Amino acid sequence: MQMLIVLFGLSILVFTMLKLMPGDPAVIMAGLGATPETIQSIREKLGLDRPIPEQYWRLISGLFNGQIKAITYHTSVWAIIFERLPATVELGVFALIIALLISIPAGLLSAVYKDTLLDYGVTTMALIGISVPVFWTALILMLVLGVVLRVLPVSGRGATIGPWSFLTLDGLRHLVIPSVALSSVLMAMNARLTRASMLEVLRQEYIKTARAKGVREGVVIIKHAFRNALAPVLTNVGLQISTIFAGAVLTETTTAWPGMGRLMVEAINRRDEAVVLGLTLFLAAVAQVSYLVVDLMYAWVDPRIAYD
Amino acid sequence: MEYLLSILLPSLGHMYRRLWTRAFCILGVVLAHGGILWLAIQKGRFALLAEKIPKRYAGGYWFSTLMLLGIFFLIWVFALVDLWRQGRRREEIRGQSYWSLVWRRFKRDPKGISGALIILFMLYLALFAPFFSRGDPIKMDLRNYLKPPSWEHPMGTDNFGRDILDRAIYGSRTALGIGAVATIINMLLGGFLGLVSGFYRGAADAIIMRFLEIINSIPFLLFAILAVSIFGSSIPILIIILGIFGLQPARIIRSEVLSVREEDYILAAKAIGAGQLRLIFRHVLPNAIASLLVTTTMSIGVNIIVIAGLSFLGLGIKPPTPDWGAMLRDAQEFFRTAWWMAIFPGIFIAVTVFGFNILGDSLRDVMDPRLK
Repeated sequence: MQMLIVLFGLSILVFTMLKLMPGDPAVIMAGLGATPETIQSIREKLGLDRPIPEQYWRLISGLFNGQIKAITYHTSVWAIIFERLPATVELGVFALIIALLISIPAGLLSAVYKDTLLDYGVTTMALIGISVPVFWTALILMLVLGVVLRVLPVSGRGATIGPWSFLTLDGLRHLVIPSVALSSVLMAMNARLTRASMLEVLRQEYIKTARAKGVREGVVIIKHAFRNALAPVLTNVGLQISTIFAGAVLTETTTAWPGMGRLMVEAINRRDEAVVLGLTLFLAAVAQVSYLVVDLMYAWVDPRIAYD
Repeated sequence: MEYLLSILLPSLGHMYRRLWTRAFCILGVVLAHGGILWLAIQKGRFALLAEKIPKRYAGGYWFSTLMLLGIFFLIWVFALVDLWRQGRRREEIRGQSYWSLVWRRFKRDPKGISGALIILFMLYLALFAPFFSRGDPIKMDLRNYLKPPSWEHPMGTDNFGRDILDRAIYGSRTALGIGAVATIINMLLGGFLGLVSGFYRGAADAIIMRFLEIINSIPFLLFAILAVSIFGSSIPILIIILGIFGLQPARIIRSEVLSVREEDYILAAKAIGAGQLRLIFRHVLPNAIASLLVTTTMSIGVNIIVIAGLSFLGLGIKPPTPDWGAMLRDAQEFFRTAWWMAIFPGIFIAVTVFGFNILGDSLRDVMDPRLK
């Protein structure tokens, strides 16, 4: 219910903002040197001459039944979004996997060896990670790996455009730079989170108990502490969907990755309201669902929390 | 006697009293500012009088000079006041208030100090940009097209022959200026909304919270992209957009209000007739100020990254105004040949944001009330 309120509010907000946007989409579509009659007919075809609430209704209902056409792409909005979706999912998932594989052990070690050189190293790296903009990381990786060392392709997604292009060597090679760049921020965030959560757990009484009864230190850390510390980190991944997408907008633009982030920038530049609204709502819906999953996961991971 | 000496040159008075550490600290600060003043005079003599500085920068030059003189005056006053206080406070017991504890802990934290120094450095770069830069950051000079780093251009030149170092120095103005002002708006607006929704609950709370949820439902950067592409991207509009959409403080204040309002001392304050304003300023804000300070510091960093991101996408600061993000956008086109264009502006962004992040991190550590 709350989810629907949020999505409805968001759609109103974005629609209002789009209506305030200067530049008539009909004029842009008609191109240079179009007669006023052509512009008028396009305007009628798009329904831009109707009253504002009706336009909103047409846009929203059109989004749901798939009738609405993207203004400048000549197919339906969903077709474009789903065409671009696999690329972004691939990028996001790979970035997340890289980030988790590195950040969780790093955060764990840094908490266990608190106040040692290792800890300072990890925390400093994590602070640098959240300070460096992703598009700069991407540029630097392109420069070092693509131009100086010439080991990886600089940009694009390779020849195989399809949902499974990362299975080919070429697709995988193209994936490295954008996903590593995108993962840098996630890595830093998750390492900090793991460290904080691990330190919190290590302060608990039951850790003291376990040590007191003579459980080996390795077992205490892995079985008693780490398992409990991992829960908040994993559930937080759901909340990072927004961060991933915002990062994807920038990395995709930098590395010419044909995903939704680039689509968003393109659509805004072309004043394509339908695509912008559709993308925004789609993204918000994904984020809301992931928040819901996070809420449910809390109860699943931590049985002390119960939902009625 | 020592006051007279201190009026002549701050730190001489401290030396007379054998307060060596303080004397050398003050002397160091005075000398550093003297160095900047020397640069300013050099600049002024050679450039301004010879009308090498275009009219549009002359105002900026005088503004920076005034700021510099103002800072000199502040140092001078501080030295005198400090001398007087050192004379009085010998036998006094050192303060034990929360803030004096925080300050003492902060002084011992290398992370916080280095963060503060980085920010101070960038701030001075921004304030005194006309003295540090050697040329015009906007005027094109195609004879210097894409020159690699050399003695003359330590960071190379860009595709219009402009010196990257000069542009990066001026770029700190847009980054820090917009970042700071937007964050202040975040604090004021967010703080106000948080107070309202925490105090009055009910409908106001519900509306504000739903609004925040809507804003948080898609990434901040997307809203900023949308808003900028609609309202254009002049600097005031950027500030307003960043100011409105980064409302994290609202949640902090609200949760603080909610946790405080059930306390007995609030009931007692109400019983003796304390008004709303008194409740807010005496009881709620002091409790929230620690977490607010941390958020402020961190969100200046976030805002700087978002501005850079917007400019990088071509939606933020428009060329030819020097800006780090916009410089990286230009670099994209030439990065196969001109690596220096891509490297240096990014270092400026990263170092500045890093400064704000370590300062925020250290503030969170030192202000943690559990460590009392």
